[in-house]
This record gives sequence, C-alpha cells and structure tokens, in this order.
Amino acid sequence: MGKSFFIDLTRCTACRGCQVACKQWKKLPATETQNWGSHQNPVDLNFVTYKLVRFNELEDKGGLQWLFFPDQCRHCVEPPCKMMADSYDERAVIKDELTGAVIYTQFTKAIEGMTGEELCPYNIPRMDEKSGVWSKCDMCYDRVHNGLMPACVQSCPTGAMNFGDREEMIELANKRLEEAKKRYPEAALGNVDDVRVFFLFQKKPDLYHKWAVAEAGIPSAPLTRRSLLAGLGAPFRRA
Amino acid sequence: MKVCRRDFLKLAGVATAGAAFGGLGIDLSPTAAQAQLLKTRWAKETTTVCCYCSVGCGLIVHTAKDGSGRAINIEGDPDHPINEGSLCAKGASLWQLAENDKRVMTPLYRAPYTDKWEPISWDYAIYSIAKRIKQTRDESFQKTNAKGQVVNRTEAMASVGSAALDNEECWLYQTFLRALGLVYIEHQARI
Repeated sequence: MGKSFFIDLTRCTACRGCQVACKQWKKLPATETQNWGSHQNPVDLNFVTYKLVRFNELEDKGGLQWLFFPDQCRHCVEPPCKMMADSYDERAVIKDELTGAVIYTQFTKAIEGMTGEELCPYNIPRMDEKSGVWSKCDMCYDRVHNGLMPACVQSCPTGAMNFGDREEMIELANKRLEEAKKRYPEAALGNVDDVRVFFLFQKKPDLYHKWAVAEAGIPSAPLTRRSLLAGLGAPFRRA
Repeated sequence: MKVCRRDFLKLAGVATAGAAFGGLGIDLSPTAAQAQLLKTRWAKETTTVCCYCSVGCGLIVHTAKDGSGRAINIEGDPDHPINEGSLCAKGASLWQLAENDKRVMTPLYRAPYTDKWEPISWDYAIYSIAKRIKQTRDESFQKTNAKGQVVNRTEAMASVGSAALDNEECWLYQTFLRALGLVYIEHQARI
C-alpha cells in the first residue's frame, strides 16, 4: 500500500517553501537563477533541483489566473522509468517496498541515450552532464522511515502538500475534490490510480504544465527494451 | 490535514521497526540507497524563532555533536503553535544564514566615483560611520521647532531595517536612534 502525497493546488500560494526545504534537507547546491519574466526559478528541474514550483499565467473569462504547480517525481505505482532502467542495470532504479518510493541510485549511470521525457511520462528525471548519473526526488524516504514528513510537506504553510498512508490520501483527495468542485467546476484529480503524488487541479491540468498528467496513463505490462527503442517514448508523450 | 502528526508518527514508527529489522527486500542490498539513519539522529536539537518577518515561526536547529559542532539542519518545529512545522521559502533557507560560503566576512567600502567594493576592517568601518553620523547630526540638529517648542531632533537621517534583528535588539537599536534625535525610524516587520 505504501505512502502517497496529495497536493491541493487550490491551496498553493507558490511561496516555494517546499522547493527550498527540499534543497535545505538534501544540502543540494544552488542553481544560478535568471530573470526570464517569471518567478519560476530555476527555469526547469535539474540534477540538483528535485522540486520546482512552476508558474503559469492564463487569461480567461474570470480575468487573469495565475496557476502554480509544485512539480516533482510522482513515484508511480508501476514506474515506467524502472522498467526502462532495468534493461540497462537492475540496480539503477529501485523501489522502496515500505513506502513505495522510487529511488535512483548511482547505477543510473548505465542509462544511455535517453531523455527525461523518454524515461518518464511526467518528464522528471535529470542527468548530470559530467557523471552521467540521473537524479530526482526520493520522497525523503530517510525521513519517512524515521517518522518524519518529507521536507517539502513539512514546510508547506497552507496545507497544499499532504503526505500519509495511500488510502487516507486518496480519501482526502476525493473529499477535497467534492469541496473544490463547488467553486471550480473544472476541478479534477490527476492520475490517482497510477501515481503516489496526485494533484487536485482547479483548471485543466495541461494549463499548469505540459507534463502535469500523463494522458496515455501508465502501461500495466512491463515494456521490453526493444519495444522502447522502437521509438516508444511516444505513448507517454502528449500529442 | 487528514493525518494528524501524532497518528503519522505512530504509523511511521511501525514502519521504522520494519525497515530496521525486516530489511527492505533483496533489490536494495547492492545499492547505496539502503535504509538510512537520519543525519540528524545524533545531533543536538535547539529551538529558535525565525529572524525574518513578524509571524515568528518556530524552528529546530540540529547541531553536530561531534566534529565541527556546526548547524547541520534547520527545519520547522512541528510543536510550535505558530507554524506547526511549516515554513516559507525564506524560513526554510535559514540554515544558510549560519552556514554559507558566500557570506561576506568583512565590511565592504565603495569609494565615490568607483564601481569596486574593497574590504575594510571593522574598526575603520565603525569609526567612519560614527564620524559621518556625528557630522550630519551636528549640521542638522534642531533644538526647537518653528513655534519655539523643544524638539531635540535631526531630520537628516533615517533608519530602515533590519529584518534580522530580534525584539530585544530592536529595542536597543531604537533607543540608540532616539538618543541621537532620529524621528524617521522604520522596521522590516512593519513593511
């Protein structure tokens, strides 16, 4: 059963406490930021940035909407990246049985010729150019094993980030969805059955981020390396 | 939140026992990602209050008991009534206030008409500032206003900040400013 995150986007104020708390706990170095017309900084996830609040502006009938999306690894129930990585080295991507966390090890170095988009329907993992090792969020499984919340969840001041046993998080998500629908008729939950990090969207998910949800879903049968190499990053990609 | 902290700790405690004695399954054995002890496990815990805004969030500072004896982690205090463990981006980065290789260790001086900052000594900096405060105060000091009422003030200087001062430091600071006769005194917490 394991653990899950429920991220209630109707409550996110984009304070970026989660983004910084992640860096702080993991002692990840800073990435040089730039003024590119958005508060979203660094511009994208990278080898040392596992959590990133994405900002998106949208104009509709209600005027200007500012959509915030705290992006991170979804910790898929059946992670496609593990299926793919196993064909290179079975030690590269491991699943923590207790929490369900999907964890990248230094053996991800064996993965060659792949992009984050091909490895992951949510385009999350990033490679270090120097070492060839891949990284991403590991659910703070060290904290969770020791009775603490993941750093990002603990820091969240608004209650947007929630973490706990999967069943309870699904229950909470469905309850919040009913409440949110009264105010936001388009409200929806993203990929609850497939992932351990599900979002409550108040607008259509693709308005938040291109890879906010996986449209094709996650394949239930493991893919062979051959079928993958035959250009099969494609079903994960959004048209 | 649905899962209250106590319930969560209870559940996670069971999980910890499982991790410590049950092993995590065969997949994990050859990797570096085995169940880890928290790096804060043997650290000394001290509570503190965030120095930035006036919300006053509580934090726990983890200090290494061996080796450097320096802060190794600072995070929100779940038992603090104000923030219940949460922090904003500034509060979450508090560790860097103490441990930062980019910290400026000496005062810097930029002379008029240059674009270069030069490190100077604390003695020189404090002496220079004191000299300028005295000169400005002497030149602008008003004993009485237009109506002849005693005011003992200077309107040529103002103080803005500082966010990183605590309540007691602020009291000392404003006492000093008022003794000089400043009337324009502002603090970050009000802005």
